[in-house]
Amino acid sequence: MVGGALLIAIPLASAFAIPLVGLALKRAAKWVPPLALAADLVIGLILLPRVLEKPIIVSIGGFPPPFCINLMVGPLGLSLAILISFVALLISIYAVGYIKTEPTEKYHALFLLLTTGALGVVLTGDIFNLFVFFEILCVASYALTAYRKDRAGSEAAMKYLIQGTVGSTFILVGIAFLYGLFGTLNMADIAARVPSAEPLHLFVILAFFIVGFGVEAAVFPLNAWLPDAHSSAPSSVSAILSAIAIKTGVYAIARVSYTLMNARGVLVLISAIGIVTLVIGEMAAYRQKDDIKRMLAYSSVGQIGLIVFAIGMATSFGLFGALFQLVNHALAKCLLFLAAGYMIYRVGSKRLADMDGLGRSMPLTTLAFSVGAFSLIGLPPFAGFMSKLSIVCAALETQRAAYLALVAVALAATIVEAGYFFRVVQGFYFRKQVAPDSDRQPIKETPAGALMPIVVLAVLIVVVGVYPGLVTNALRGAANELVNRTEYIRVVLGTP
Amino acid sequence: MDVLARYMYYVGGAGLILIGLYMVLAKTNLIKIILGLSFLDTGTHVLLVAVGYVRGRTAPIFSEGVPEATPVVDPVPQALVLTAIVIGIGVIALALGLAVRVYRHYGTLDVRQIKGLKW
Repeated sequence: MVGGALLIAIPLASAFAIPLVGLALKRAAKWVPPLALAADLVIGLILLPRVLEKPIIVSIGGFPPPFCINLMVGPLGLSLAILISFVALLISIYAVGYIKTEPTEKYHALFLLLTTGALGVVLTGDIFNLFVFFEILCVASYALTAYRKDRAGSEAAMKYLIQGTVGSTFILVGIAFLYGLFGTLNMADIAARVPSAEPLHLFVILAFFIVGFGVEAAVFPLNAWLPDAHSSAPSSVSAILSAIAIKTGVYAIARVSYTLMNARGVLVLISAIGIVTLVIGEMAAYRQKDDIKRMLAYSSVGQIGLIVFAIGMATSFGLFGALFQLVNHALAKCLLFLAAGYMIYRVGSKRLADMDGLGRSMPLTTLAFSVGAFSLIGLPPFAGFMSKLSIVCAALETQRAAYLALVAVALAATIVEAGYFFRVVQGFYFRKQVAPDSDRQPIKETPAGALMPIVVLAVLIVVVGVYPGLVTNALRGAANELVNRTEYIRVVLGTP
Repeated sequence: MDVLARYMYYVGGAGLILIGLYMVLAKTNLIKIILGLSFLDTGTHVLLVAVGYVRGRTAPIFSEGVPEATPVVDPVPQALVLTAIVIGIGVIALALGLAVRVYRHYGTLDVRQIKGLKW
């Protein structure tokens, strides 16, 4: 039963061990994150079959819930934890060679802290504990955004910090109200007592939580920080922010509105917010003809909108589609940012026009980039097709006019998405390279160490697209965990 | 007036939060915005402590000489506030550090002039 706690303890302890290791052997420090995250991944995969049958409750301090802080290693938490460990593992391998700005120990320690925060958020069963892990995640990501100490990074981190801190305050106010109403912080205990509370009170608290987590999840009116932060950070940081950090906000919104509040009434509203986010994000991404990372960042906003839309459907199938899309977006966006990182590095500019004709000089990287882009658009052999199909089918299955109208808008937004990704891919393969300066060296392929994670992600996207059974089993259990809240309460509190 | 006295701490906490929000939204000096964040934090802490306060009871500390049956206030919100204070300090310190860095790059703390990126 120790396994659940180890998932959080290993990266946390390793994060603080990095400076010590760096002191002893400077070159060894950067290998600590891949090792720690690989250990996490292995533990997660070992626990998975057991957890799918029966969730594991880890009680910290030896008291039974609700008197202790407990971890809830259920299907949802563990699937996301595996996803986080896996994506973070690949990014940390990439970062070994990519991060050159000294002192690199700081980068690696912060990176592991960010991962710890994300793992804690998805695994914890206590609302205040969730807030603490959320803050670990946020503070680490503010610092990492400004890691290069350049002009753009500092400004973006400042904006991110101000908006993120206001969001965190909203979460804390929501927690204060929750505690005032129910006198407990254990999520299962709160969930069990929710029917006794007045709906208006619950609505106000839910509004606080959605605003607070919405800042990190970058839903529409709260997403001003995202394009700046994601485009100014080093590419490996952009990848983890886009693939993991914003997903934890989405997870928290889903957890609060389903398990905690059972807020069936406002879910249509959440769906509508999601669609607005999707349309705004995709249109803004289409407008970015210049900066490749800014385009990818806005595309993340759009994809988050699609996930939030599917979360609002309130059916098991809809949630399954949302989680599937979440996994696919994490894989694809991580791949895109990692590939874009070395393309920018080799070309020496973020401008899309400078990347024309890269298909000849960096064949593998651009091929992987195209796979990721096609998966996000939702072309058939890739993973994104299956998840988008599930979301559309789930919306049709609800047979409610509101969802049918919203899904039509979502499909229209996909065309916009295809528009800007095809433009990039077309540039790679069918446009001539801008005449390079005579003194510049010819552009080389990405080095092997960084190419490995990119290729693994591309292969995985194709494999999941061809054989979705690889992930659907776990995700179905995860979706059921969200829908079936009485089961959640029973498992944690142990009452019949 | 009676209501105000009864809900004094709630009103105070909410007031601090509103002042903080106003500062973050309306001020143009980066340092003032960061101070606003600090106000926001403090307001939330007051609110949290107010939630756990019970009129006429003492601090939840057991020591020699104090009878064990002494009525005390709820200790959980106070533990939460301690955690939240620590987090708040970390965030504010990071914010000030970033402000220094921003000043070095832009030569100003006026957010209207810090526009290297598109808003």
